[in-house]
Amino acid sequence: MVFSSVADVQAKLEAASYIPSVEIATVVFIAMATQKPVLIEGPAGVGKTELAKAVASSLDRKLIRLQCYEGLDEAKALYEWEYAKQLLYTQMVRDRINTVIAGAVSLNDAVDRIAAQEDAFFSERFIQPRPLLQAILSTEPVVLLIDEVDKSDPEFEAFLLELLSDFQVTIPELGTRKPITIPFVVLTSNNYRDMSDALKRRCLHLYIDYPSPEREMEIIKLRLPGIEDRLLESLIRTVVRLRSMDLKKKPCISESLDWARALLALGIRDLTPEAVDATLNVVLKYHADVRMVRQALGALVKSP
Amino acid sequence: MIRVVTQFAACCRASDLRVSTSEVLDCSRQMALVDPGDESQFRIVLQANFVKTRRDQARFDALYRLFFHCQGAPAKDEPGSPGDHSPSRAVRSALDRLDSLDAQTPMDNALASLIQGDPVPFLSQVHDLHTREETRTIALKSNLGQLSGKLGIMLAINGIRTRIMSLAQGMEDLTDPRDRRRFQDHVDRALGAAFDMAVNEPGELNHSLKIVSSSDKRFSGLGEKPFSCLSAQEMDAMREVIRLLVRKLKDQVTRRFSVRNRGVIDIKKTLRLASRFQGIPLGIVYKNKPPRKSRIVALCDVSGSVWSAARFMLSVLYSLQECFDRVASFIFVSDLAEVTGLFDRNDINQAIDKALTRDDINYHDQTDYGAALQAFRHRHMAVLNPKTTVIIMGDGRSNYHNPQGHILGEIRERCRRIIWLNPEPESTWGTGDSEIRTYKAWCHEVRTCMNLNHLISFVEELVL
Repeated sequence: MVFSSVADVQAKLEAASYIPSVEIATVVFIAMATQKPVLIEGPAGVGKTELAKAVASSLDRKLIRLQCYEGLDEAKALYEWEYAKQLLYTQMVRDRINTVIAGAVSLNDAVDRIAAQEDAFFSERFIQPRPLLQAILSTEPVVLLIDEVDKSDPEFEAFLLELLSDFQVTIPELGTRKPITIPFVVLTSNNYRDMSDALKRRCLHLYIDYPSPEREMEIIKLRLPGIEDRLLESLIRTVVRLRSMDLKKKPCISESLDWARALLALGIRDLTPEAVDATLNVVLKYHADVRMVRQALGALVKSP
Repeated sequence: MIRVVTQFAACCRASDLRVSTSEVLDCSRQMALVDPGDESQFRIVLQANFVKTRRDQARFDALYRLFFHCQGAPAKDEPGSPGDHSPSRAVRSALDRLDSLDAQTPMDNALASLIQGDPVPFLSQVHDLHTREETRTIALKSNLGQLSGKLGIMLAINGIRTRIMSLAQGMEDLTDPRDRRRFQDHVDRALGAAFDMAVNEPGELNHSLKIVSSSDKRFSGLGEKPFSCLSAQEMDAMREVIRLLVRKLKDQVTRRFSVRNRGVIDIKKTLRLASRFQGIPLGIVYKNKPPRKSRIVALCDVSGSVWSAARFMLSVLYSLQECFDRVASFIFVSDLAEVTGLFDRNDINQAIDKALTRDDINYHDQTDYGAALQAFRHRHMAVLNPKTTVIIMGDGRSNYHNPQGHILGEIRERCRRIIWLNPEPESTWGTGDSEIRTYKAWCHEVRTCMNLNHLISFVEELVL
């Protein structure tokens, strides 16, 4: 299943509980149509990972996720030889070697005969595919999410290049594995460091910013249909003001959602300074931030 | 459509936005999938292909405005393209006659072709101007080269406007007053955009910049006192605290390295190694290897304006070098000198004294960050690699010399992170001759570092 137009992307993502802006929908549509990876940047918690999940569920595809971190290597991301299994097989077939080299006229001949068998040990049987190889060898097209790619090492970025441009992987012992299906690839980055030009060139770029107040309201309403408009409006107004303050960690969409949930659970219907004070810990994640916001509570919740 | 995209790509390249042929190809292919008549979609496709990082967004926006909204000429063959300012036929033929304009300087030529619809020569001249290096080493340094260049453009803009208007008087294409007004509007719009481009270079949008100006209150008295107001006694006390801090850090680092060999056995790697020796596990591999801390390159301003803080900065630099195995340290005023070897050979007080009394640095010279960066680029760029963290310590007060921020941009491309430690409170950044706002665009992190608490939280964050 694929998307047929930008409007179709919008409708399908909305059905998967994700409200995309025109920009997001257009980029997803182009990426899908031209089979290009999408590199998504933006502050933490604006729905970068969520977008990949929504695309997967709207197309009814499996999501394969690779979480990047410092020290991630090929063995964990691409493939790994099953050494234990190879070793075990070597032990078990040791006796057979005599029959293979039986009748060899010279040492050279014996070595040639063993060399002819070598492929038995470096075959697909002993390969354990990791997320990246799984994604291209899957018989059904999947969505491949490479999360927080900026946290990985430059070396890892280098071997992503082959995968992202041709969707193929070269295993030295076996040769190049061609893709069975082309996955829809999403890379996310928090901009901890800049990605290399080569990687950026292979991707479409998408920046997701904090949503406009209207879109954020829609998102919360979609997730929490029971919330009252008046409460929602004052909540969004407060969150927008919080974001303009100099905080260590600014509240993102998921935090506004958590906050709305907490207010609903507590049965709070008016966002008074006292109510904000009592629930501030849901939105802010640092003690210093909480202390700073407490001093400005009055201005924070007053209506425009 | 392809023509519009390639022309726009040429503009992007002229102002140093890297657009490769493959991106132009992709972009033209994708245009067929969307409705190019819908400007938002047209723009999104261009943006998704040409802007590969949020940092370039502002520059792209300015170029897009200039190309598609300030002059309509490139879109004249494509009625479906955006650009609602397409000049009428009369205006167009008047524009074609501008060739007879007697242009004397390259800037005049560039402006004329900008009005006629090709902004590339103009953009590349403006870009040259913004990244120009002060090459002359005369006694009095200044950034007048850039300023006079901008002045030249402004004069050229005014000159060419007057000349075009007088030329327009005699054109038979513009006998209709409405055509004449349209022609005037068109010229004004293009020259206005040129003026904006020359005067305000679209800055880099540094969205992910981390600014740290607060810290945990570790020491209440001494910890909160700025370095610049310390008495001699407090200075000694401070040294003692820093010594303890350094010892703690060193413990932390050694502990981490000793833990490395006590972790869990990594079966997979052990077996992989064993398979070389017929399955006999000759070497045992352990897990839990801590991530290697990368190399550090530190640049420290030791001029008069940061004199009080410089000693502490240097002592931190010294202790960094003891904690990490690969640190390269540099000091600068207006010239730059490497002090890595000095720090390796001497003990802390000696090393700092020697660093502050070197022959090859004129400590009474005016601080010039631009010159120091330029020296770093010429002599030491090779120490940078994608795992390097660059730490710059200084107030960014560059005595109104050319800050040459684009060199910091080049450094950013070569390293992992740039962290700037500023011994001034955030409220004074950007006042007077402080260029910290210029440099901020290229840093990953800018921190206030004016007292012990700031220093401690920075070092801990770096090491732990």
